Amino acid sequence: MSYTQKEIIDLVRPTKVHRKVYTDPEVFDLEMERLWAKTWIYIGHESQVQDKGSYITLNYGKVPVVMVRDTDMEVHVLHNRCGHKGVKLVDKACGKIPAFRCCYHGWRYRLDGKLLGVPYMESYEDTAFNKEDPQYSMQKLRSDSVRGFVFATMNADAPDLRTWMGGAADVMENLCDRAPDGEVEAAGGVLRYEHECNWKMFIENLNDMMHPMVVHRSVVECARDYIKTLPPDSPRLDEAEILLPFGASYEVMNDSITGFKYGHHYDGGKTSIHADYTLDPEYAAAMKSAYGEARMNEILSFNTHNTLYYPSLTIKSAIQNIRVVRPIAYNKTIIETWSFRLKGAPDSMLKKTLLYSRLINSNGSMVGPDDLTAYFRAQQGLESEASDWIEMHRHFGKDEVLTDRVIGKGTSDLDVRTQYTAWREYMTVAA
Amino acid sequence: MGVVAISANKQEEIERFLYLEASYLDRPDLDNWIDLYTDEGTYWMPAIPDQKDPDNHISLFYDDRVIMEVRRRNFVHSAAASKDYDVRASHIISNIQVTDMDEETGDCTVTSNFHCWLYYNDKQTPYAGRYTHELISDGLSYKIQSKRVDIINCDATLNTIIIYI
Ligand code: FES
Ligand SMILES: [Fe+2]
Repeated sequence: MSYTQKEIIDLVRPTKVHRKVYTDPEVFDLEMERLWAKTWIYIGHESQVQDKGSYITLNYGKVPVVMVRDTDMEVHVLHNRCGHKGVKLVDKACGKIPAFRCCYHGWRYRLDGKLLGVPYMESYEDTAFNKEDPQYSMQKLRSDSVRGFVFATMNADAPDLRTWMGGAADVMENLCDRAPDGEVEAAGGVLRYEHECNWKMFIENLNDMMHPMVVHRSVVECARDYIKTLPPDSPRLDEAEILLPFGASYEVMNDSITGFKYGHHYDGGKTSIHADYTLDPEYAAAMKSAYGEARMNEILSFNTHNTLYYPSLTIKSAIQNIRVVRPIAYNKTIIETWSFRLKGAPDSMLKKTLLYSRLINSNGSMVGPDDLTAYFRAQQGLESEASDWIEMHRHFGKDEVLTDRVIGKGTSDLDVRTQYTAWREYMTVAA
Repeated sequence: MGVVAISANKQEEIERFLYLEASYLDRPDLDNWIDLYTDEGTYWMPAIPDQKDPDNHISLFYDDRVIMEVRRRNFVHSAAASKDYDVRASHIISNIQVTDMDEETGDCTVTSNFHCWLYYNDKQTPYAGRYTHELISDGLSYKIQSKRVDIINCDATLNTIIIYI
């Protein structure tokens, strides 16, 4: 079947959403066209393409793209497609090249995508083919960045990136402000984790504060059990500091969620599961000398948990770890975990970020796999027609609506409601 | 790294020890497995080929005693949803070579190739690669000071790795 405008609208109600948004491949295809292609999608961080000719490749929705730094040191996001017969021009995850050169007939492109050379031009003589015609160059996506985080969109009419981010940009600023030098860089590589579930299940879990004490009870109990066997004067364990807050009570998780236009949200602010990390004295000293004590305290006390830039990027400013959503099919998603170095901070900070990524997000961790089990069981369970609806009532009607944001309890479903409000808006705009 | 010439007896002793470790992971029996490690022992699965260290780059696993102890308990915890499924493995180890040997203490570094088939949640997944064991000798047998597991697809998109390989 093909969805009419009305049928799409009907999939989302104020406090419930139809199961088809997760289980119908056709909805997935429409999402790629109407949502992913129309909004800003996270591409990568500028520090991943530091030199002239450095590039990274990825898929924007289903479309292969390449982020590259040109000879003027400008960063571009280009369709990774030869202007001749469409062959992908670069096929490594990352690399460095003097220019693009197609492996098929050898067309060459400048680093900003402009077609440079076509072998044996004589054979085009007296034809309408014009090498200067922009259609034969690599096509550029509209791109922009905030503090080095590069986004791109296929939508010429999308609002500018900062406007689109709204107040959620505060958390990205905070992540970078946590560097004594005011800048972060991608460091320590990436983990790519296949999830057998719809992409929305992953992002709907980010600020689901009703799940950690259930899903992650086992690892928290096991950590507590082990700690009990240690002598009472044992040194503090970073592992315990990271794992134990996952068992925090409903009351603790209740700080707040703040939602924004276009589907973004973060939870916490005053406090979060990261709030009680021991402050590394060397890091504190570097921060104090960079910012002064008052500003340092202001930066470090803005304590959020997850921040979603709907639909593709989620960041943790307090531990400098991000996850990127790469949808593959209605029931398959790749989640990438990247870690960031705070420039000017001691090495111990990156070490802790990597410990966090390993303990919580790795394919081999004791946290992520339990979340994933809930997602793939939901994917399976929603095949049942027992009910067509998934509810999202929690705290409905009690959210505080301000001009630029909506604020509610940490245990509110306002994060999911915020996402589906944006979802419906994107999905019903004529393609 | 070169290969060190050792006696057939020593070679057999070392092989027997590696097979014992593999048999605990086949079942899997983490309570007995963990006893094969020294208190400072580590289990490391890098996320890129030739990864230099676990501190400056992400790894799939880098467990010290603390994490091993938590994992051993978690593996059989009734509330861990991802552990609801049977886990069965079959390890084959070959090309076992001693690349370093301290003649005095008997401590040695051993590399080997492995194939491991892992059955979990209705799927059977093959892992292949290379082990590097640093073994501490107590005269009778060995303890593992470190085990490095380089799977050949370490930098690919992977699903859950539910247990040590
Ligand atoms: S397809 Fe690229 S040069 Fe022909
Ligand atoms: Fe979780």
